[in-house]
Amino acid sequence: MDRWLLLLIVICTVFGIGLIDSASSVWALDRFGDAHFFSKRQGVFAFAGLFLMVMVSRIDYFVWRKYAKWIYLVSFLLLILVLIPGVGLVRNGSQSWIGAGPLSIQPAEVAKLGVLFLTAGLISRSSKKITSVRLLQLMGVIILPFGAVMLQPDLGSGTVILGTGFALLFLAGVSYRFFLLLFAAGAAGFAALIISAPYRLQRITSFLDPWEDPLGAGFQMIQSLYASGPAGLFGFGLSNSRQKHFYLPEPQNDFIFAIAAEEFGFAGGTLIMLLFLLIIWRGVLIALHAPDPFAMLCAGGIVMMIGIQVFINISVVIGLIPVTGITLPFFSYGGSSLLVILFSCGILLNISRSRSV
Amino acid sequence: MKSPVRTIKKRLVISLLLISIAVLVMCIRLFYVQVFMHDELYEKAIESWSRELPMEPERGRIFDRHGEEIVINQLAPSLFIIPRQIEDREKTALLLSDVLDISKDKAVEFVNRKSSIEKLHPEGRKLSFQQVREIEEASLPGVYIADDYKRFYPQGRALSHVLGFIGVDNRGLSGLELIHDEKLYGEQGAIELFTDAKGKEMSDMPSTFQKASPGNDLHLTIDLRVQKIVERELNNAQEKYDPDQIIAIAMSPKTGEILAIAGRPDFHPNEYQKVKPEVYNRVLPIWSTYEPGSTFKIITLAAALEEDKVDLLDEHFFDSGHVEIGGVHLHCWQREGHGQQSFLEVVQNSCNPGFIELGNRLGKDVLFDYIRKFGFGSKTGVDLTGESDGILFKEENVGPVELATTAFGQGVAVTPIQQITAVSAAINGGIVPVPGVTKKWTDDGGETVEEVPVKMKHRVISEETSKKVREALETVVAQGTGRGAFVDSYRVGGKTGTAQKVKDGKYLKDNYIVSFIGFAPADDPEIIVYLAVDHPKNTVQFGGVVAAPVVGTILEESLSVLNVEPRKVQVEKEIRWLDPVTYKVPDLKGKTKKELNSMLMPLKVEISGQGDKVIEQSPQPGVTLPEGSILRVYLD
Repeated sequence: MDRWLLLLIVICTVFGIGLIDSASSVWALDRFGDAHFFSKRQGVFAFAGLFLMVMVSRIDYFVWRKYAKWIYLVSFLLLILVLIPGVGLVRNGSQSWIGAGPLSIQPAEVAKLGVLFLTAGLISRSSKKITSVRLLQLMGVIILPFGAVMLQPDLGSGTVILGTGFALLFLAGVSYRFFLLLFAAGAAGFAALIISAPYRLQRITSFLDPWEDPLGAGFQMIQSLYASGPAGLFGFGLSNSRQKHFYLPEPQNDFIFAIAAEEFGFAGGTLIMLLFLLIIWRGVLIALHAPDPFAMLCAGGIVMMIGIQVFINISVVIGLIPVTGITLPFFSYGGSSLLVILFSCGILLNISRSRSV
Repeated sequence: MKSPVRTIKKRLVISLLLISIAVLVMCIRLFYVQVFMHDELYEKAIESWSRELPMEPERGRIFDRHGEEIVINQLAPSLFIIPRQIEDREKTALLLSDVLDISKDKAVEFVNRKSSIEKLHPEGRKLSFQQVREIEEASLPGVYIADDYKRFYPQGRALSHVLGFIGVDNRGLSGLELIHDEKLYGEQGAIELFTDAKGKEMSDMPSTFQKASPGNDLHLTIDLRVQKIVERELNNAQEKYDPDQIIAIAMSPKTGEILAIAGRPDFHPNEYQKVKPEVYNRVLPIWSTYEPGSTFKIITLAAALEEDKVDLLDEHFFDSGHVEIGGVHLHCWQREGHGQQSFLEVVQNSCNPGFIELGNRLGKDVLFDYIRKFGFGSKTGVDLTGESDGILFKEENVGPVELATTAFGQGVAVTPIQQITAVSAAINGGIVPVPGVTKKWTDDGGETVEEVPVKMKHRVISEETSKKVREALETVVAQGTGRGAFVDSYRVGGKTGTAQKVKDGKYLKDNYIVSFIGFAPADDPEIIVYLAVDHPKNTVQFGGVVAAPVVGTILEESLSVLNVEPRKVQVEKEIRWLDPVTYKVPDLKGKTKKELNSMLMPLKVEISGQGDKVIEQSPQPGVTLPEGSILRVYLD
């Protein structure tokens, strides 16, 4: 088993709890009367998640190929279910949750795994070149849950599902020409999305100059930059964030990297990115040495899923791309997100056990 | 065909490469944000984190030339609130409505405002100590008291036109307060309070305190002692004559420094709202434009002397009471005329036909050249706002009649400041000064930061001519129309003026501006005073009767406070039938009743007692009494 990866995962998870504790303390105290409300819960999730990861690492990854269809089907059904008014719970304007209270989950998180398993399984079933018909079939597998997720709407999870799916197609060797076409189609679809919901356009222009609408579309962007910008090279020090004082809304969630950059500066920000790069590097190594195409694709898909989330999340925080609701793996507060990531890491660890010679 | 495994491996490596590039891009962007955008973002973030509580600076004070206080400040703190920090809105509103004497609805509206910092105009400003104490004792969260000041005027209404006033925001709105607002205001200080987004103070971040720096103090050329004399005399004149307006300026003729300046109607700077805007907007001594009348003859006289067109003592002139110029009869103010007189007597008598003669001798070009050089028709450059240009005939329109009237001061319109400045030049040795009220600026440590230099323009007449003008004008006071301004042992020179007022191009009936311009001592003038009374009632409207005595009093007292040495020799006052003849009371003690009767004193003697010899008298010997006064004597 890849002990380096295990160590990196544990470091990130623990570091994440510490950051959540600092970032959320002001909000937690204000809302729940307990400054450690979020970090305590995240601690429980982390403990459960790490336990789950160890369990999964002992389950032969072959199982996921075998049950891929069912996992995919159940997650898709959940995605449909969550859209039914009264069943799905609306949080922050998106109907993304199902269940009750602390036991509620985000079907989109499960769908990420469903798409991953089914796509990897379908590709690895045949060693022949991917034909156009198969490509269409695979795209259907990816786009169906993506469409369901976008109806919530949850642009963040949708992007991850789409990104992970197409990353798998890329790994499988689909021609570059296809991706160029896809890019063109994506641009067209993007335009269509903007026309259907103009607020998205505002989000896009607002990231270019957030001060144009400082209290509306540009608000989060500005508050995020006010966290990282003034911190300089080494930051204000642990727990000394100023933006967490109600300036940056829900700082323990999508914008936790901003708080990290504020408290630990450029040094802390690059350290976190370096940790992710190491995890991805270990993941790629595992994939390269995996015993069969499914394992390779599965490991590679997990790596790409983490990579895409990290890239989108951090890019949003530092103003590279428009605001997209996406969590930072290991660091952002949230049970579903952490459990899914650690679950995936369990699979990675399992694959690392059976290296090809 | 490649094996699928090899393809996947290749693509994995490419993916790792792409991710590495992405991470690199993010690192560069993070560096850019945290290093290159740092200063800009830090500044904006500080703005977002801090609530600035402004601290008003103490406005610069205004002093006279000897450091006497004219405008000073009193502490009058202001109230402001940070609505988000208020815990009990009901209680806070109740207290504020009680202390500030505002309605409860208004107080409730105030404490429920949404912005980060709120002030309450005007009830929450310039609070009394009692109010401040009540607010501080209540110690309500979110309610703050900040330093602020209000203007205090130890001299009351004195100089109000010149000083102007300030608004509730401590910024100058008129007068010197407006002209020099930047220097007087100083710089605002601030307490920068770091708060969270809900307005609560962030305990781990210290609030910074930036002290307000007070404005610089303005020192005027005004001499408050002279100003007070002028103000008092204006009040007396106002009571006595009930005029429409009065204007007075006292100046140092050699430097143009204004020692006193006043106008009626006036106002109190703290209560400017109680008068009409034209009262506080017009600085009458520099704004009013009217016919000067005879005071303008000084200019004609100076020009004629400088051009050597007249010999005052040896040349004579016959005044029949009127002259005919271009078919128009121009009268002397004394209808029957002054008869045969020397030109010095022409000046003393203010004889119009005599001055028409001088004007003709000079010719229009030369006379108008002098008028302009003396500063008429354009601003004097006094350092106050609202100065007028005055009006002269256009030279191409000047015919014989216009030349004649201009020579004795009709048909031109000038301002008081132009007159006093021009006459200063005529008597100070011949150089036109630039009048001014500012002397210097000092900082809050009393150090001089700026001296305002005395400015002199050009020479118009020679020292010699100027001396002749002074001497001629001294005789006007001692022996001519200006006798009301005579001051014993201070050589006063001067000239009266009486001008009919003009409205809509027509002369008003029985409505005159009577004026006098006087200076002393005539051998070396230290002070020049101009006074104009607009439409005095209950009197003959003559400058010599109304204005001259007031200027005489102002000059006498001012010379005394200015420590000007009395002169031993002066042109003696000529006694005329108009003047009361005085008699010095002799010592009558020991005289017999018989002797008393034979003395032929011009006094009414009242005798009491039965004896024969005088033992007591009232008044005492040596006292001067007007003819016909009562002298009481007591016999034993």
